[in-house]
Amino acid sequence: MSGTPYPKEQMHRIAYTKLTKDQISGKLNAVSAPTSASPLSDVFAGKSIRIVTDNGPTLSYTFNGNNQLSLTEGNSSAVNAGYGALTLDSIAFFTHMIPNTVRGYAVAIDRKTNLATVFDLWFCGYKDNREVQREIYYGYVEQPGQDPPKSRHATTDRMEGKGFYWKQDAGAETLELYPSTSYSNFVELSRFGGELSFCAPSDYVKIDDNHYIYTRTECEFSGTFTAYVLDLNRVEQAGTRLGFNANDDLEYYVFRGNGKWLGQFARFEKLGDERGTEPPPPAPGKPAVKGARRVYRPFETMPKMTRAEVDAVCAKSSTAFEAPSGPARAGGAGAGMAGNLGPNSDWLAGKQLTLRYDTLPAMEYRFEDAETLHYRKDGRGEWIKARYHAYESCPGVFLFGHLLKDEPNHDGHMVVADFDQGLVTVFNGYLNTPYFANEAGVKIHFGVIEMDGLIPPKYRRHELTDEMVGRSITQNYSPGLTSMHVYTTPHSLSWVIFTDTDSGGLEWSGPAGYVKIRDGLYFMYWLEEACNGTLGTILVNLKTMRDVGIGYVCGARGLNMGAIGAHERLVGRLDVMPFYRVRESGRLE
Amino acid sequence: MTNKPSSSRRTFLKRGAILAVPLAAAATPAAALADDGLRSRLAKLEDDAAIRGLHQNWLREINNANHGEAGETVAPRFANPEAAVVGQRLRRVAADHGREPDVIEIAPDGKRASGRFHCIVETETPIAKDCTLAQMAHAQGSGFVHRTERRVLKVDYAKANGAWSIAKVELAAT
Repeated sequence: MSGTPYPKEQMHRIAYTKLTKDQISGKLNAVSAPTSASPLSDVFAGKSIRIVTDNGPTLSYTFNGNNQLSLTEGNSSAVNAGYGALTLDSIAFFTHMIPNTVRGYAVAIDRKTNLATVFDLWFCGYKDNREVQREIYYGYVEQPGQDPPKSRHATTDRMEGKGFYWKQDAGAETLELYPSTSYSNFVELSRFGGELSFCAPSDYVKIDDNHYIYTRTECEFSGTFTAYVLDLNRVEQAGTRLGFNANDDLEYYVFRGNGKWLGQFARFEKLGDERGTEPPPPAPGKPAVKGARRVYRPFETMPKMTRAEVDAVCAKSSTAFEAPSGPARAGGAGAGMAGNLGPNSDWLAGKQLTLRYDTLPAMEYRFEDAETLHYRKDGRGEWIKARYHAYESCPGVFLFGHLLKDEPNHDGHMVVADFDQGLVTVFNGYLNTPYFANEAGVKIHFGVIEMDGLIPPKYRRHELTDEMVGRSITQNYSPGLTSMHVYTTPHSLSWVIFTDTDSGGLEWSGPAGYVKIRDGLYFMYWLEEACNGTLGTILVNLKTMRDVGIGYVCGARGLNMGAIGAHERLVGRLDVMPFYRVRESGRLE
Repeated sequence: MTNKPSSSRRTFLKRGAILAVPLAAAATPAAALADDGLRSRLAKLEDDAAIRGLHQNWLREINNANHGEAGETVAPRFANPEAAVVGQRLRRVAADHGREPDVIEIAPDGKRASGRFHCIVETETPIAKDCTLAQMAHAQGSGFVHRTERRVLKVDYAKANGAWSIAKVELAAT
């Protein structure tokens, strides 16, 4: 038995060591040059070049063979370093660290145009020393007797919406989706078993219409930096990976890779807008910060509560479907995620029924009115009053939710009741989960509806589905609040926030699950693990392109169940599912 | 075709200079009366020009401000800085040339004035950071609802120590 492809902890649960500068420096100095599974290129061997950058350093290189160079930065003294270079068509890519420092460079040069993009790389530039920092400089390779070229490589949104499968020369397999201009979404198929997708701040630089440079820095995780040049037509890559893995071992290598194009999502910038993401502006009166980039740090900012704290806040305040407050709430700026919700249905008012789950105690309900129900579990005990809301997504199919009283884990039920089929699915949310007690967990239970005049099926149930996997949908919740879901793996999704110019911006991801209610109607959840702890549930109707949903979240102000409603647009679909099928060997395809 | 006379600040200054020479030399009571009328008119025109300048500078600062900075940037131009809060954050204000021209009325005492400016206003309202999406939107420098509307800027001005400042601003519906 060779073992499973899964890690002991998924990436967002790994407690990466806070490495000191001395530890980082020691590990870097122990390595003379990046390794490579492929033969290194000798494209620079025996040559000297001078790279002039705009608003950045002038770098004079002399290359000795295919693994040693001498660098002079501006007027400073020359230093010797090991390097590795690879080529991709006319583009040469090389990288090196500077001995006895925690910094180095990665450089892409287009030998046809002599244009260069320089990534100035360093560790120890953020409070988490292991997080690689980068500044991008654009310039050119000086040609004696020639005027400097006028054009430059530049950041771009032309990569936005693309997705690729990559297999590197050392065997690492990934799915990498670029649904944003400042972030990317990656699935580690070989390193982590492909269960979840993760997100990282990224750069997208256009070399020409066929060639681009992509980077990502795994902020909030290992801090590892990856950069590669890619050829969109041949689906080839050449680049570098620099950082410290979960065992704190240095990974510094150059790689080649081949892949497969997965498709193209729609983009939402104004037609003709090909601008990339600008770095965040400096604070008023302050100089620009080298390496500035927008990074979403949910783990740093999320509330982290103990079980005792959760129990205390839930006892103090557990609310469901509170009336929004404030004059701007009704469809305006303060409407949050409920701005496009639609009316609360009163169809269940006056009805009495039992939801008989296969793997959960039956829930008996008496619906008093459109906002009040009474329930009891398994036909025993007192009827318990609870506040609920119900939303009719399509005729006969309702999403309703309520909190359960006096449950040790403060459960909430988010239920899709399908009266056309007599079927029910509940996402049973709960707290007191293992990592942080206020992070929600969820279990899915299937069952049938028992009520007068309705004969449910004996064997048929709603089912888990992968029909949504690879799709992407925008959700406009209220003015100014629009996200884009990317259903990246069968067990996770990511969400992208649009910028003011409708480019994809910050992105994050979490575990997810998908249930098919009927063709075009899907009940799904996501967990904001290591990120606010919210359980989000939505019933997506692809025919009306509208979703209704219920959020379940515990924070310092208590436990809250609230409504979600959005107008949607279809973004498209990437062909990712083949990479999640398990082979006979048990390995991912 | 009618040729309307120009009334730019430059032509006003030119005419003022031409008129100033004979007026300064005159000494008769009739001339003194004319002098008072002209001085009053001159003062009114100067006030009008000063208020227009104040208004234009204020708009320029609003239009050049970053998210959320408009209030701080324009506050010094207000007689009472708290009056810089106009109910909504202004992001852009542009003259609405499709409506009536700007009107500035100066009170007889020369210490107060009011202006009506038809304009196209882009407002921004911050989205409450009460969900993950809103927190992310703010983290990337957005997180505002922008609206563009035709409005009338009703501005009250006050003059103190020879300088005009904004006393009150109201963004009224047209």
